[in-house]
Amino acid sequence: MKAEKSFHLQEEQIISATIDEKELSGEYQQHLLVCPDCKHKVVRLKDELHWFGQKAKEAVPPFSSAVRLPVPKPAAATPKNGWLPFAGAAAMAGLAVFFYFMGPATLDPGKLTIQQSQVYMLEDESLMREISEMVEYPMFEDMYEITGENIMGFDEDFMQFVVPEAQEDFQSEYILQGGLRVC
Amino acid sequence: MSLRIAALVEETRDGNRLSFHELVNMFQEDIYRLAYYRTYSQMDAEDLTQEIFEQAFRKVDSLHDPQKFRAWLYSIAVNRCNDFLRKRKYLALLQMRTAQEQEFMDKENSMGNEYSDRIEKKRFWDKVKLMLGKLSAMEREVFTLRFMDHRDIKEIADILDKNESTIKTHLYRALNKIRGHSEFFEEFRGAVS
Repeated sequence: MKAEKSFHLQEEQIISATIDEKELSGEYQQHLLVCPDCKHKVVRLKDELHWFGQKAKEAVPPFSSAVRLPVPKPAAATPKNGWLPFAGAAAMAGLAVFFYFMGPATLDPGKLTIQQSQVYMLEDESLMREISEMVEYPMFEDMYEITGENIMGFDEDFMQFVVPEAQEDFQSEYILQGGLRVC
Repeated sequence: MSLRIAALVEETRDGNRLSFHELVNMFQEDIYRLAYYRTYSQMDAEDLTQEIFEQAFRKVDSLHDPQKFRAWLYSIAVNRCNDFLRKRKYLALLQMRTAQEQEFMDKENSMGNEYSDRIEKKRFWDKVKLMLGKLSAMEREVFTLRFMDHRDIKEIADILDKNESTIKTHLYRALNKIRGHSEFFEEFRGAVS
């Protein structure tokens, strides 16, 4: 009786048997097969853990949303048109190399001067357009008071300088010379 | 079953989104519970479930063996949850998280009809937290995967990329510590005997 009791599995061996019975040595495995007490302890621990798992599963609130997959990416370039980006990049690189070595240095200085004068003309036109807009749409009197421009007292000469009379500008003179004056 | 899963993985790789939807339907409850067991928050677990499947969908081409889809998906889930918990710990330090959690808890508690059920569940999870809090991170992970997520030793080894004997060692240590919480297991003992 005493010998039989000494052969009962210890707590640690019960745990090992719960994890995997093969973890026990052959002697204890044999004992587990024939000893109902030890077998009951192992089964009870396994069942407790099983019920714990079940209880945990039941205690989880239900999944209330739906999984959404990411939006598919736009189709990748097909082999047919896959060469286009590379060709474009190569062309741009070629142009860059060409202008670096051959571009501005080889341009005719006369052409450069013409281009510059065209730029100045465009700037002049833009300024004249702004001035004529100011003549056509002057600011309200209140605005002048707010900005303080009335206090400065722009006199007639200044205004004549900024906005010349129509007959004094070169276009009117041209019209007068041609005998086509309409105003 | 694993052959069917492998076939669905292959179809997904060929661009069939419906196949992946089928995989989602197979595993979304399990993955959601896995996330809940680690966050104890429905809102966070649902967000994580969404993110886990998005990541799996994007990276499905990197899976070498389609038959190991489940272990692969679980490893994504475990890593994602651990990342989340690290961030949550950091946010809690900055007091940014608690208000949002409290708001959600208030909303939950005000729902009325199932109040006592919720209280019971809350008590259960409080005990679980207390019990698992005694374990090291690895022991906790292995215990949760084995007895709450119901994965076998081999699969846990695959998920955590460890060998089986390491998993058994951690499991043994975890059970040894948890057996100290005999009062917690009393209620399950009643259900068993």
